[in-house]
Amino acid sequence: MQIGFSFNVSRCSGCMACVVACQDENDLHGDGLNFRHVTRLEKGQFPAVSMSFLSLACQHCGDAPCMMVCPTGAIYKRDKDGIVDVHQEICVGCHSCALACPFGAPRYLENGKMSKCHFCVARVEDGREPACVRVCPTKALGFGSMDSLSRQKAEKASMFLLEPLMKVSGP
Amino acid sequence: MNSGLNFEGPDSKLPGEETGIEIRHTICSICSPRSHCGIDAYVKDGVVIKVEGTKENPNNAGTLCSKGAASRQYIYHEDRIRTPLIRKGDKGSGQFEPISWDEALDTITTRLLKIKDETGPEGVVFYAGYSKWMRPFLKRLAHSFGSPNYCTESSVCSAAAGLAAGLNYGTMGGPETGKSKCLLVWSSNPFYSNTSAVRKLLDARERGLKIIEVGPLITPLTAHTDFHLRIRPGTSGALALGMAHVIIEEGLYDHDFVENWTLGFEEYRDYVRKYTPSITEGITGVSGDLITKAARLYATTKPAALMTGPNATVHHTNGIQNHRALTALIGLTGNFDREGGNHVVPPAYLYVPNGVTTRQGPFMQSRPWEEMPPRVGQDQYPVWCKMVSEGQAIHLPFQIRSKKPYPIRALLAFGMNYRMWPGSDFMKDSLNMLDFFVDVDLFMTDTARLADLVLPACTSFERSEIKFYTQKYVIWTRPVIPPLEESRPDTDIIFDLGTKLAPDDDLMQKGYEASVDWILEPAHLKVEALKEYPAGYRLKDVALPPYQKYEKNGFSTPSGKMEFTSGVLKEAGFDPLPKYEEPRLSPFSTPDVAKDYPLILTTGARLPMFIHSRTFRLSWTRGLRPDPMVDINPKDADDRGIKQGDSVTLSTKRGAIQVKANLTEIIAPGVVNMYHAYSEADVNLLIEPDYVDPISCYPGFKALLCEVKKTQSA
Repeated sequence: MQIGFSFNVSRCSGCMACVVACQDENDLHGDGLNFRHVTRLEKGQFPAVSMSFLSLACQHCGDAPCMMVCPTGAIYKRDKDGIVDVHQEICVGCHSCALACPFGAPRYLENGKMSKCHFCVARVEDGREPACVRVCPTKALGFGSMDSLSRQKAEKASMFLLEPLMKVSGP
Repeated sequence: MNSGLNFEGPDSKLPGEETGIEIRHTICSICSPRSHCGIDAYVKDGVVIKVEGTKENPNNAGTLCSKGAASRQYIYHEDRIRTPLIRKGDKGSGQFEPISWDEALDTITTRLLKIKDETGPEGVVFYAGYSKWMRPFLKRLAHSFGSPNYCTESSVCSAAAGLAAGLNYGTMGGPETGKSKCLLVWSSNPFYSNTSAVRKLLDARERGLKIIEVGPLITPLTAHTDFHLRIRPGTSGALALGMAHVIIEEGLYDHDFVENWTLGFEEYRDYVRKYTPSITEGITGVSGDLITKAARLYATTKPAALMTGPNATVHHTNGIQNHRALTALIGLTGNFDREGGNHVVPPAYLYVPNGVTTRQGPFMQSRPWEEMPPRVGQDQYPVWCKMVSEGQAIHLPFQIRSKKPYPIRALLAFGMNYRMWPGSDFMKDSLNMLDFFVDVDLFMTDTARLADLVLPACTSFERSEIKFYTQKYVIWTRPVIPPLEESRPDTDIIFDLGTKLAPDDDLMQKGYEASVDWILEPAHLKVEALKEYPAGYRLKDVALPPYQKYEKNGFSTPSGKMEFTSGVLKEAGFDPLPKYEEPRLSPFSTPDVAKDYPLILTTGARLPMFIHSRTFRLSWTRGLRPDPMVDINPKDADDRGIKQGDSVTLSTKRGAIQVKANLTEIIAPGVVNMYHAYSEADVNLLIEPDYVDPISCYPGFKALLCEVKKTQSA
């Protein structure tokens, strides 16, 4: 099974509560140290302008490049749920993972060791949501197994297609 | 808090016996009373180690915004004031030494009673800033002491919008978004100002709600709208008159409501005749075609509701009349006090309407106005004092200086920020002219530094308070941690002062919980009973008032009708029609000023991680936007050789500040947008202290003239 985040770009308002909730959960008090990052994109020119946001953390890749390049085997992927995590006691802080990661997920602590989003694994195992998902005021962020997320998406798309047809026979 | 990561392993924050972590319920009170989200505090050994939203709380349903999520840095910040402090150096020197609570409270009561004895109680001003939770008790203390001068930050917040709508209708109702088919959002950005409400707004949109947005900025809402009318700042009134023109000319107004329930329609119709779509386009910058389409959509989709921001439309030198013009559209289209329109529900407690009745008003007005001298601003802003139950704080520095009609000698302030005043240096200097200034705050702020005596308050995590929600929910909070060091709840300070300042006030003597019980009596709620529900209590048998109450009671205006021509304004010598006037500083009203200052400056729009200055000092929120930045359109920036992140000088005729340039299309060419309250780049230094609306004394924060230039490095 592979667990993952879902992100509804049309609902994200760029409030960055997810960034702070993650910092609070993980005691990231260091200057600018965060596991989740929100980027804003503007497109077009006045008066036709649109603005979007993307909230990004470790993607817990199926075929994680950070794990491939880690010389000490500190980075590992859990069989149970596909969460990519790091054994800090083995990490030597070589930054290979940072070079390999296309999403800029790895961060480095004051002790030089790599740390990053661990999917709030203890919370998830305890039946709770990751801190970033819990805090999201617009419900733009979600999580679940990749299968269930796809199923939810399919159902939502089907509803969208069915809705106008239903109206015809309505009162 | 130290800077490094204290990494105890990912499983260190689960509640339970083995971890020793307990979840205790409280509320956040960093932002406005419309939010105040329920918080689950994870507490270990008496320390909050994590927060998250309370799921059972129907307002936030487990979620928080970035400010609330940063609560831990707020509670435990190193700038928290730890003990009462008395000034040692010169006034404003910021040099203090600790004193005991007994000494501090004795000093205050002695000084204030002496002033009362010498020149009367009106010489003492009682001021409530943010948050608003202590207001009922402070106002009662002021009036029981004998002073009419209870002032608050509502002198720039939402009171003027209430005043303007009150002139039209006698009252106002919020949008009933859940039942509405069309929402006209006028200069409001709930995504950043009332985050807990947007989930439902987005859900309603997904169900087919039409949304029209009016405002000078592109916001996260814009992507969810049918139309965005991007006005030039300050022209809301003209746009509203232009929409009324279309609605009346095309016969789309509610004939029945207008004929039976309004005053002055003929004069109003004659007046809006000149606001044709093309004339209105010339003023507002919104295309006539779009104005027509938006007017038709709002007028023909039933029911339709108007959502305005608390103050963006009244932070103008023509603010009251602008807001009157736009709220007049509600009655014109027959959406006033209708289901799915703007439903009038009186507030239960602290600005939250939910159908509950309390005695907050009578509790606060412990002495009638007639038995006290005039309030600050009453001679110059009589309409304000007629419609709003407090003094006008923006006028305070003028009265401190002029001593007219009587001298102001002392100020007892809770959560005051002098940078709220236009011409904030003018207010700062005025504070230094007082005989005695006491400031109660969480942090050693720029304002606290000016005080003679500073008292440490505590956060919502460290106190008990009553909080109502619109979703028929109430919570009496219990402290989740004891107050930090010697800090105390604002209410403890107020009631302690009350023992000597208001000895004849029976409720003040009985104390805080007895006073809350007295306020709650009509709601059949008691503090002791609410303590049984630490996460909150779902109110039973509470019904919202019916719709169209005016059919039975009329309108509480001089004529008993909705007034297109205001009787109150006429009596006070103002134009009774909702007349549009240009901002006092604009490219059209002051072309000579615009030669040197060609850009329109709009200030104070919300950012998601800040509410005024309250979370500036937290690294989590400040880290999301570290620098004071002026939003400028890439075209204007290019004309001035300015690139993203450049150091620039933002200047007006009055002054200049140094900020970074943020090139963005969210702002139109010709307009720049600056967030307020930065100590190092205070935009209110650029605004004249008397740049205010003549009816409300609200500052014209949202439209004036400026220039932006690249700062030459020395």
